[in-house]
Amino acid sequence: MEYPLPCQDGKGTLTSHHHPHHLILQSFNDSAKRGVSSLQEFFVLAGKALGFIFVKPFYTADLFQQMDVIGVGSLGIVLLTGFFTGMVLALQTSVQLQALGQTALLGKLLASAMVRELGPVLAGLMVAGRVGSGIAAQLGSMRVTEQIDALNTLGTDPIKKLVTPRVLASLIMLPVLTIINDFVGILGGNVIAKFYLGLPASLYWRTVYEQLLSGGFTLRYIPNDFVQGLAKPFVFGGIISLVACYHGLKTSGGTEGVGLATTRTVVTASILILVVDYFLTQILLTLFQP
Amino acid sequence: MTDEDDRRHKGERRIPSEKDKTAMPRRAHDSGRVRAAIRTELEEVADQNERKQPFADSQTRVIALENISLSFEEPILENVSFDAKEGETVVVVGESGTGKSTILKLVLRLLIPDKGRVSIDGEDITHLTFDDALKVRQKMGMVFQGAALFDSMTVYENVAYPLREHTKLREDEIEARVREKLQFVDLEPEKVMDQMPSELSGGMKKRVGIARGLANNPEIMLYDEPTSGLDPLTTATITYLIVKLQRELGVTSVVVSHDIRSSFRMASKIALLANKRIAFFGTPEEMTGSDDPYICEFLGGF
Repeated sequence: MEYPLPCQDGKGTLTSHHHPHHLILQSFNDSAKRGVSSLQEFFVLAGKALGFIFVKPFYTADLFQQMDVIGVGSLGIVLLTGFFTGMVLALQTSVQLQALGQTALLGKLLASAMVRELGPVLAGLMVAGRVGSGIAAQLGSMRVTEQIDALNTLGTDPIKKLVTPRVLASLIMLPVLTIINDFVGILGGNVIAKFYLGLPASLYWRTVYEQLLSGGFTLRYIPNDFVQGLAKPFVFGGIISLVACYHGLKTSGGTEGVGLATTRTVVTASILILVVDYFLTQILLTLFQP
Repeated sequence: MTDEDDRRHKGERRIPSEKDKTAMPRRAHDSGRVRAAIRTELEEVADQNERKQPFADSQTRVIALENISLSFEEPILENVSFDAKEGETVVVVGESGTGKSTILKLVLRLLIPDKGRVSIDGEDITHLTFDDALKVRQKMGMVFQGAALFDSMTVYENVAYPLREHTKLREDEIEARVREKLQFVDLEPEKVMDQMPSELSGGMKKRVGIARGLANNPEIMLYDEPTSGLDPLTTATITYLIVKLQRELGVTSVVVSHDIRSSFRMASKIALLANKRIAFFGTPEEMTGSDDPYICEFLGGF
């Protein structure tokens, strides 16, 4: 059995301290080191990007452009996914509720599911696919065509110019998109309630309203469900934009590298959204549940 | 001393006149005439340099690399030293993949050497903070291999970018400067200003890249493979531009190139990079006069 060259001395024999088992440990060690250093780089990037929000110069034009791209640009898919998710959720639960004779509960169910969970997660996943990949591809091509170096050379910090506006825009726009997503989702439920269950719209919306106010209030006026439902997209917005910028800026190896960066972004961001969502829910439930 | 030299010594920047525009041939014209015109321009430059050696007495080392070593996965540069004095054009030549572009990144402090030091205007830039490095870079204009124009911006915005970033010029002043720089690189401002980089040809992109590098009136210009991927005629035009820049604005330049022919035309000094080290550093004449086997082989290859 042959082992790779690095463990051999000049005479081509395996040296004693490089036992085959050590090779496995060695490669494990190497990849662990790489992982840790990537993680460190990621957090340095995140820290800088967030810190620069408060440091001049402010690239306001870039911020508004990104808000347009991320927010307005994602409106279509968010409306579509929200509406259909609301409808399918209503349809599925209607069957169950009919069996139990509790169809009037549909509004409550839809409201809590959309606002607390589905709205933020779906908006997050859709934006990760659409915006995350876009950011990674754009920054990746800027990297491989030396435009990032050009920015540096022209005396601009690429993180301040490129990453901060994208992160800030995502932090602002994702909660907005989520509110829209929640609303059209509940609206989709209304369509099913009316045409499938024959539930009057007034009853449906009253139950929605009751449900949203039933969870208690933060600062006396803000329903807890809203706090939960908006804390999540805020975090997801940060995850998506930072992961995308990180992979974009780290791109190497030409056009192939750009493709890889895009794929990695969508995969990492989507997984992170789902995992972080679980832990965030745990935390938020302990904080806000009466 | 002519007017020209006088201006240069005062460090004044000359705005290209109508005469320059006619002196610089348009590439669409009869190619023979164009080539002849470029050749005479270059010969004239060479003659002038020989006669006057305007910067030969200036001993100010604008760029100095001292005993630079750098390695990533494997060593890239070992004990590399050379310098560029005020107004000189140093061309770094060498085979592909020998770390030529790395040298420019070191000068720009996009990379930090493992050993040795890089100084700009006598100031050691090796240990500057990130923000101070951004400031030092404002002294330099860089022309990237693929021009690296920002493809989300028009030509005008690209050239105006460094001005918007670092000066408080009014919009009309910015526009005047952009026009001036575009004219300097023989582009018609009216035609190209509103175009996107993707609409330009390779040679035009490169010229816009030079104009952007020049926008801030830098004292140092750096070029990464300025003539690669261009046809012979455009190569000659770009070479001519680099010479014109040195002659008219007195900028100090470092050019990284594997195009020996154009290197000889623009170089005050040539640094030959081979096997991670500087194998030769001297004037083009010294290089052709050398009997070092590697240099002979390298020059013979062209």
